[in-house]
Amino acid sequence: MNTLEPQLLITVVTIIVTGVGIVLGTVIPAWVEGKAVLKALEGITRQPESANNLRTTLLISMALLESTAIYVLLVMLILLFANPLLDRFF
Amino acid sequence: MDSVTPRIAFTLFGLPVRNTVLATWVAMALIILVIVILDKLKPHLLENFVEFLSNLIGGIMNLENVERYLPILGTLIIFIAVANSLGAIPLLTSPTSDINTTIALALVIFFAVHIYGIRANGVFRYAKDMASPIFLLPLEIIGQVSRTISLALRLFGNVLSGELIVAIVFSLIPFGVPLILMSLSLFIGILQAYVFTALSSVYIAAAVQISEN
Repeated sequence: MNTLEPQLLITVVTIIVTGVGIVLGTVIPAWVEGKAVLKALEGITRQPESANNLRTTLLISMALLESTAIYVLLVMLILLFANPLLDRFF
Repeated sequence: MDSVTPRIAFTLFGLPVRNTVLATWVAMALIILVIVILDKLKPHLLENFVEFLSNLIGGIMNLENVERYLPILGTLIIFIAVANSLGAIPLLTSPTSDINTTIALALVIFFAVHIYGIRANGVFRYAKDMASPIFLLPLEIIGQVSRTISLALRLFGNVLSGELIVAIVFSLIPFGVPLILMSLSLFIGILQAYVFTALSSVYIAAAVQISEN
């Protein structure tokens, strides 16, 4: 088995990890946010007078949930465009 | 990636000035100009707007004297909304697509939370509430720092991802299609301005309102 150069190996691994990671990092927060919206909508249909209160809480919690997806995106952007491991071997 | 990362526009007295700083100046000039013109021509529109902001922030904070915290929070929501929308104008980039801008905004909120908390409760009561029980103090400090970082990274990531998606779609289909994504990123920019302000008001309200027991 011929060995790969470390730079090429790191690039290939980075591309695979980025693809898998961005899928997981968007699907899971989207699923959890969907559950949160579902519960909030159930609450609004049951008690329409509390809609304003629920909307504020929903938006804030959605932002907190959404930030996990943003962290994944930032890590993947660093891996793709400013990979710190590529410079280590050369 | 190179089209969305900030670059140095010119140097002023040996200091490099990035194009995001230039866009910040444009945003400041735009806000001041619009407010001065509105104040001259239609003052009641301005009053309605301030009333709207006061209701918005008061609905989140649930305190008696929301007017005390209205200047900083209202400035935040206006500035972030204008700054996020600036990316849609050609030749300008959003100031918030530079991580330095968002970290500066988050640091302002970090210090404002403690200053308002100490001013409302006094130094000893505020410090005692933060360290009660005493072994939770490290967790409290970690929470304070990490929520500041997450405030900055959330705004930065949302704005940068919007610009990046527009750039990628532009390189694939340059005609028409990026407009849809640009309108989406405009909406997300306004929403993120609201979210940043809402989270800051929640943090300030939590620091001001210390439980009695």
